[in-house]
Amino acid sequence: MTSLSESHHGPPRVFVTFSNTDRRYEPLDSLVARYEVDGLGDEMPRAVEHSVLWYTEGKGEEDLGVLFFERVTDTERLPPAVPGESFGCTLPASPLSYEGVIVKIRWCVRVRFFFSGGRDFVSEHEFTVGTVPPARMPHAVPL
Amino acid sequence: MTGSRSEPPRLPRNPFTTRMTAPGRLPPLDAAGSPVDLGRVLDALQPGVSMIEGPHGHGKTTLLRAVCAEADSRHRPFDFLAIRSISSALTTVTRVLFAGQHAVVAVDGWEELPAGFPILIRILARWKSVVVVATAHAPAGVPVVARCVATPAILAAIVGRLPDHHGLISQHDLDEVFVRHAGNLREALYDLYDRFERRAAAGVAHPRPIA
Repeated sequence: MTSLSESHHGPPRVFVTFSNTDRRYEPLDSLVARYEVDGLGDEMPRAVEHSVLWYTEGKGEEDLGVLFFERVTDTERLPPAVPGESFGCTLPASPLSYEGVIVKIRWCVRVRFFFSGGRDFVSEHEFTVGTVPPARMPHAVPL
Repeated sequence: MTGSRSEPPRLPRNPFTTRMTAPGRLPPLDAAGSPVDLGRVLDALQPGVSMIEGPHGHGKTTLLRAVCAEADSRHRPFDFLAIRSISSALTTVTRVLFAGQHAVVAVDGWEELPAGFPILIRILARWKSVVVVATAHAPAGVPVVARCVATPAILAAIVGRLPDHHGLISQHDLDEVFVRHAGNLREALYDLYDRFERRAAAGVAHPRPIA
């Protein structure tokens, strides 16, 4: 997901390349994500946050776990000095990605830019951990 | 917020997840399905306690969160407090007591306050001239700033604002879930979540797309 509060120009575009090009990882694998951003226009970020996290998605309350987080404020590591950055971590043994019916577990890398005007811009890029097959409904028929 | 997402290929993503539909993710809508004029709601709030009233799942919390966001956009300090326990009730009292000028204290779940707390908060809000806006299912003896209603037009507008459902949900579904859940939009969206899951798993595109 990429999200942006009010902007006078189009939203920035964030392109992420994963160390595993198919975005499939196993527990305890090393993950490296490299991103590049363009379309920032005249307004440059004053900070950017990198994170690797999982979250639940479904009908109920959401849960979230952050495995890796760093906040970059050094201007030499921010656009326009650099078009992007790399970051990564070693994935844990669990939770594994899961495509359930009531609840799903998703992993993603998140890049969040903070602009001087108070705006922020969030970009999420998903990957999978493990190979848990999707849940099947016992009688998957249309209503 | 607007945006896009990149993800590995898999079954169509269910647009009716809590992540997409929880209060605060969508703007509050009026009976016709148009966005509520939040500035007008905020301007209507007077010092003391005001109420956002409506049945379960009719958008009270959504409106309350949006009022907070509107206050924030006008650089007015705000507090959003969900009443779940005696602890959150005590926190509410503290926040009202120490709220600054022009502050907005939003209380989600007025009826969950323990006995004695509603009158205490009302007295404090009047004494300190603090704007307190709360949600409740029924009149609570304070001015009502908004009555939340649910209509089929609101449900259709909500679905229209969610990510693509790939033709798996029809207008007939919307009509049916609205009636089945007596206008409770939260339950109606949960129902649509289930319908989407079943059809996505079965690989069936619904033959009757939303008009």
